[in-house]
Amino acid sequence: MNLNVGIADMKVSNDPRATLVTYSLGSCIGLAVYDPVARVGGILHYMLPESRLDSNKAKRNPFMFADTAIPLLFKSCYKLGASKGRMTVKAAGASQIMDASGVFNIGKRNYAALRKIFWRNNVLVDAEDIGGTVNRTMRLSIATGQVSLKISGYGYKFL
Amino acid sequence: MIDIQTIIRSIKKLPPFPGVASRALKILEDPDAAVSQVIPIVQYDQAITANVLKLCNSAYYGLVRKVRSLREGLVLLGNAELKNIILAGTVVKFLQQENKGYDLSSGELWKHALASAVVSKIISDRVNGSEHPSLFTAAILHDIGKVVLNSFVDRYFEQIIALVNQGGCSFLEAESEMLGINHAEVGAKIAESWNFPEDIIRAIRLHHRPEEASDDDLLTPIIYLANIITLSMGIGVGRDGLSYRGKEEVMKRYALKAKDLQEIVVDFYEEYNKVQDILML
Repeated sequence: MNLNVGIADMKVSNDPRATLVTYSLGSCIGLAVYDPVARVGGILHYMLPESRLDSNKAKRNPFMFADTAIPLLFKSCYKLGASKGRMTVKAAGASQIMDASGVFNIGKRNYAALRKIFWRNNVLVDAEDIGGTVNRTMRLSIATGQVSLKISGYGYKFL
Repeated sequence: MIDIQTIIRSIKKLPPFPGVASRALKILEDPDAAVSQVIPIVQYDQAITANVLKLCNSAYYGLVRKVRSLREGLVLLGNAELKNIILAGTVVKFLQQENKGYDLSSGELWKHALASAVVSKIISDRVNGSEHPSLFTAAILHDIGKVVLNSFVDRYFEQIIALVNQGGCSFLEAESEMLGINHAEVGAKIAESWNFPEDIIRAIRLHHRPEEASDDDLLTPIIYLANIITLSMGIGVGRDGLSYRGKEEVMKRYALKAKDLQEIVVDFYEEYNKVQDILML
């Protein structure tokens, strides 16, 4: 059973039949977390780095921004019995338009926001596939915790 | 390298733009055209009529009443919107196809077209205040060239992507290098063969090269930016990915900063949710 995680969306699950999937990871970031003991996991697909851009809209949908979304992803997993110390953390996305000026670099800013939040909260990233100019799809199996990526033009790989 | 004439020939093999739609669009270009002139033309094409009604009833327009006839649709939405709807209802069948060459499954190119149209309106409201009359059409059609170039890109993909990865080319430049023509140029030729107006043809042709547009061209730079933002959002993006050039000069022209781009993305997210039902045409 595939559970679709849309753009600016998050899903968590403890159903071993579930596979979470998120498409359209361009400059957005897909974050997959999983606790192998509780068998609880989630995927977040956020669009932009910081909620101070528009705090009203961040209230309406906190999954738009890294700083409002990432804590919610962890908290939602804790509610299902996950524990921070056991959780694996994998990230993919943050692609870029070819741009030397840096003005279009939403992907880079999204990744910087992730690093900043994880550094403050002592979270280590176990695996990542970040940057480049590719489009990615991310899947997380709740039964196994396996995270797979489809990278358009390059095929599939495990993260 | 492939003979460019082979590609040009396959443009000619594309079905003509339906006569019904092009006659209706021509009439609707006149803002004073009467509703009654268009209905007799459109109503005999069931596919277009059905799509027009679906579009009228989509959440995007947020009409309180359900539209049951073309006449009602016309009265409620007005000429300009009806023109957009007829166009969308007509080209959707070209854009819905799977594009193996670009690794786009069926519906993806349509999704990209529609998302670009949504973004283009947001940008246009922000920088121009008023909307260019050809904005929707140009946004919907900007990648139409991929429909034809698709099979050639499929055949030469390894060479094209090598030019991108090792040669530092954008995907567009690599298409030109390998095939002698790129999807923007092919798209312009399709729009020409469908007798679209010059401003739309130009915007399609230059949608990755806005620096070549003249100062009085208010359409091309907006379509360029809308496409770049839609690509960044990963919507309807294939294996050409985000391998296109960011042009800072377009941002400067409109005094847009990185923060403005992010605000456009936020607005886009809310508007895009409203067009989800149109994706299912």
